[in-house]
Parts: sequence; structure tokens; C-alpha cells
Amino acid sequence: MAEPKGLAAIPRLRPGERRQDSARNDNLQNLVGKIQVVRETHDTPEGVARRLEAAGGRNRFGEPNYRVVWGWNRLAWIGGKFEDRDAHGDLVREVVELRLEPKYPQVNRWHVERWVPPETYGSPREWYANTVETANGASVPALGPYPERGEYEHCFTLQGPKGDFVQLTPTIVEHVARAIEWAKRFPKAKQRGMLYEKESREERNYEEWAYTLMDDAAPALHGQPFVTVK
Amino acid sequence: MPAQQNANVIALQLEKVRDKVPLLYERDDILLTMIQQRGDVEKISSRNLRLPLQVNPGGKAGSYNADGGDLGRGSGTQYDVAQVSPIFFRFAIEITKLVEYATTGRERAIENAAKREVANGMKQFRAFLDKLIQTAGNGVLGTISAVSGTTFTMTVPCGAALVYPGQTIQIYDTTLTTNRNIAASVTTNVVTADPITTQQISVDNVPTGTVATDVIVHDGLSGAQPVSLYGIKYHQNNSTTGTWLNLNRATYPVQLQTPRVNAGNAALTPANVRLAINKVRKALGINHLSKLIAYMAVEQEHAWENLGITVSSIIKEGGGGNGNDLDLLFTGRKTMSGIPIKSSVNADQTRVDFLDLAHWGRAVLKDIDFYEVNGNTVFPIYGASGGLAASYIFYFDTAFQLWSDSPRSGAYIDTLARPSGY
Repeated sequence: MAEPKGLAAIPRLRPGERRQDSARNDNLQNLVGKIQVVRETHDTPEGVARRLEAAGGRNRFGEPNYRVVWGWNRLAWIGGKFEDRDAHGDLVREVVELRLEPKYPQVNRWHVERWVPPETYGSPREWYANTVETANGASVPALGPYPERGEYEHCFTLQGPKGDFVQLTPTIVEHVARAIEWAKRFPKAKQRGMLYEKESREERNYEEWAYTLMDDAAPALHGQPFVTVK
Repeated sequence: MPAQQNANVIALQLEKVRDKVPLLYERDDILLTMIQQRGDVEKISSRNLRLPLQVNPGGKAGSYNADGGDLGRGSGTQYDVAQVSPIFFRFAIEITKLVEYATTGRERAIENAAKREVANGMKQFRAFLDKLIQTAGNGVLGTISAVSGTTFTMTVPCGAALVYPGQTIQIYDTTLTTNRNIAASVTTNVVTADPITTQQISVDNVPTGTVATDVIVHDGLSGAQPVSLYGIKYHQNNSTTGTWLNLNRATYPVQLQTPRVNAGNAALTPANVRLAINKVRKALGINHLSKLIAYMAVEQEHAWENLGITVSSIIKEGGGGNGNDLDLLFTGRKTMSGIPIKSSVNADQTRVDFLDLAHWGRAVLKDIDFYEVNGNTVFPIYGASGGLAASYIFYFDTAFQLWSDSPRSGAYIDTLARPSGY
């Protein structure tokens, strides 16, 4: 991430140099040193939103089918009995309530979401029948109120294969949206076939790896050096 | 070449690859080997491994009257001890005299045959243990829903997924009390298994008295209520009766209960997934999801893809055909609401388990190796007459048990519908 503008604007000092207004700066530095960013929020750039809308279209409410959100910005209702714990994992309190909390565990990543229609969640009656939790005599809908206008659900987290940060670009998220829409055109049987093929390939990979390992243990010609015959 | 000499050649070849056996076994591409041998309990004696658990926090909180009021007494953290005892597992491999004839009997050819058998055997052994890890700790590999001659139709979940052709199985009554194979003095082997379409298995011998509702267990178990590997359904369980690692579940009904979402035979929805994940977050802390994996059968991975909110395997497996650099992004793990997916053909087709593997471990009494007697690893087979049979046998064996020190750190969705077309 880029250096915050506020700090970048302070001219750097050479070693041993002390600024004249050092007392005020000491206070500032102390303050900066104590600030811990616990929640970093970012709004989705308009250009990205436009590209996603072009790629995925709009839903019945005129909203884009796809959107991209920053993890800390994406909050969702979580209801029920919370067991609040301290830094050591010890229980501090139990409380039954409805909270708005980050929806995804990767709070410092961009996430692509797709709109899911309300009927996916069943009727309101079914929703509350399935999600209401009762604790300490109080009933709370564990996922909040029924999503009457549907809900945006997680499609993809922008991160590298090892979980490293990937910067948001319109091209990436557009590619994700188009890939999902493209895959929908395939028959379900073909999708299923690909999943089984993936499992079979993993099995074959193991076999090939195992045979190679065995060959390494007992090399050809019993490890004797090759002799070049002219 | 005399048979004993040939066995010696095979023994020599096995010895050459012996140090590779743990590598073949431990490759972490199946759930069993993704669960680490934990350093603190890596080796255990034949006594039970003891796992101290903090079951209740200590301390008394409350207000008090500062005007001479009584502040009251305190309390300490409450501990209990879970116990794990290892189970011995073996995998027997025979090489027949035919191998010698088919390979002209040369040492090099026999070496190849031995290596192939070790690699194939280990693959099957790992598959067997991976199937066991799907079970509830009693060795039950499936339930018979109908018997027709030598063909059993198996109940879903599990269906015919947890057996393989050639496997020796045993049939118990539904209460796991009567071993029908022992009662009838019959050995039953699986001939064919179809875990995808018909969920049927055919066997060579059906012991007398076998009926629908009977269950199939693996070879080697005996007696009533057999104990086998403590699998997912043993540790990820919301029951408040019975025992868990020698603790009475009724004593700690909350602490030992894994959060459950009952899908009611409906298809997987994003709401089910959020409910399950949120139960873990509420119990352990909102940001406590970093080590979870979503473990499921291929069928439920397909159900998740059917929702049209994830990048399909068609793309991930290269079906897109674009060869775009952006496809590199998809080489990471597929996720379910941000939780990495690990799928398996052996997993319960009606269930999704959210597992925090940091709380799981393997207590190992004996590491994987060839079974050895007085330095010998290959043994001759004797025929019914008492003479030598035209084959040799060797074994892999290991002794271990799986444990979890925090059943509440996971969650599961069960009674899910399988997507149509299966």
C-alpha cells in the first residue's frame, strides 16, 4: 500500500538532525506511533463498477448483477448468542443480539460478489423458520431480516495463489464476471464431469509422483554410472 | 529359481524403497494427511494419550457494594481429560509367482514389480484410511437398504463410496451387535462398487441372515460396538449423549457440541453456508476463521457451482481455452464464501464440514512402515496342504488415532440434497 499522504508530506531528516519544532513533532510522532489502524475502508472505484455492470448486466431491480467490495466495507447481519473473548481467547461475556460484522474473513482484500435473487433463500416464512436462533429466552434471526431484494453473495476474493494481496483493476474483475457467466452456459452434466475429472487427475498425479519416487529410490542400472559407447 | 530365493530378491527391493514409504504415505493431498502429527503428541505408548481440555473458564464476575459489602469468593478454570487410544491398521499385498514368470524372472523386472506393488498398495491404503476418516468411529462403511442375491443397494449418504472392489468386509446387524460373517463363518469380499449412479455393491458371499438396515464394516473388527478410526462424524457431532474421547457428552453438552445446520433435505444455499460459518464466529470470535476449510463431497462442490456464484471448474481446469494470464488468479483454491474448499470423492455426499485443522491431530503409536518380524518383511504363503503357495506377502502397518481438542471450532451442514443427475 502507498505511504499515507500525511506522513509523506513531512520532509525527511538526516541522521542526527533535529527539527526546531521538535517538541511538537515528538508529540506527533508519539501519536502516530500509537495509532493502530484497526479498520481500513475503501470505496469501489466508479470505473471498476461500470466495467462490472457492462460485463454482468443488471438485475430486476436495476442494480448491477456483479459488484466488488472491500472486505472491511462489506458488513452483514449476524444474530445469536455471541461469546466475546479477550486476546487470550478467554470468555469475557455472552450476549444475545444482532450485529453488523464483516461478512468475509479476508477483511483486507477485494471481493467480487454476484447478486442472488430472493427466491434462492425461500419464502420469508422459510427464512425465519431456518434462521431464527433462540438463546437465553430471546429469538434472533441469525442472518438478519429476509433479503427481500435478494443479496450479493461471494464469488471470488482477489488474492494470489498463496493469499497475497492483488490490487483491484477493472480488467481482473471483469474477467471474473465474464468467466462465471460463460461457465453458466455449459450443461450441468459437463460441469459435474469436470469435477470428477479433477479428482481423477489428482489420483493420477499421485500415481505418477509415487512411481517417480520409487524410481529415485532404486535408479536404473542400480545407480551404476553410464558408459558412453562410441 | 527356488521360491525362497525369489522372496529374498523382493525383500531386497522392498528394502531399497523402504525410506520412501513414509513419503508416499504422508503426501498431504487427502484429509488424513492434511491432519498433522502434532509435535506434542507425536509418539504415544500403548497407554491412552491424554488431552487436557479447558472445559469451563474460571473467575467470578459481578458488582459489589463498596460500602463494606462482601466481594465473595472466586473460582478456577475447570479442566477435564480426553483420552485417545491408537488403532492398528494394516494393508496386505501379495505378489504371486506369476509375476516372476511374466517378468522373465530377472532381478530388474522383479524390482519393477515390487516398486509398482508398493506404490499401488500405498495408494489403496491411503484411500482406505481416507474412507475411514469419513465415518463415525465405529468402522461402518455403509448401510444396506436392499438385498438382492449378492447385490446390496446402499443407503445415501455414503452409498457405495467407502468400499472398493476386492476389499474384505463384514456385515453387522443395525445395532452393531451381531457379526453375521463370524456367525455364518463366511468371508465376504466386494466384487464391484458403483458409488456414483446406482449406489450398489456386489459381493462374493452373503452371510446368512443379512437383511436391509444391516451395516458394512471393514475387515479386522470384531465383537459388539467395534471401535475404529475416529472420523469426521465422530468429532463433528452435535449429540449430547454417548461418549467423546472417553468424556461423557452429557457432562459437557455445550463444550463438546459441534455447531450444526440442518438443511432439511434441501439443496445447498448461501444461507446455509453463512449460518454454519457464523456459528463458529459467534462461538470463537468474529475474526476466527482463518484456518477453516470447507470439506465436502464432489456432489456438494457441484451444488455450490450450480448456484452460479463461483468460478466453475470448467474455467479453473482450463476449459475456457483462453490461456489468459488472468487465469493464473484461478489457480488458487476455490472458496465457499471465502473459506477454501477441499473436496473428496469419499466425503459424505449430503454434508459440508467446516474444519479447523489447527485443532485436529494424529496420535501415532507406530509410524507407517513394512511389517517386520526378525528383520524379515516378505513372508511366504502356505497352501492348504501345508506346502508353499506360489506367492509371497508383505504388509504396511501403522497405529494411530485422530483427535480434536475443540469440537466447537468447526461446524457442519447435513441432510443436504444431492444435485439432480446423480
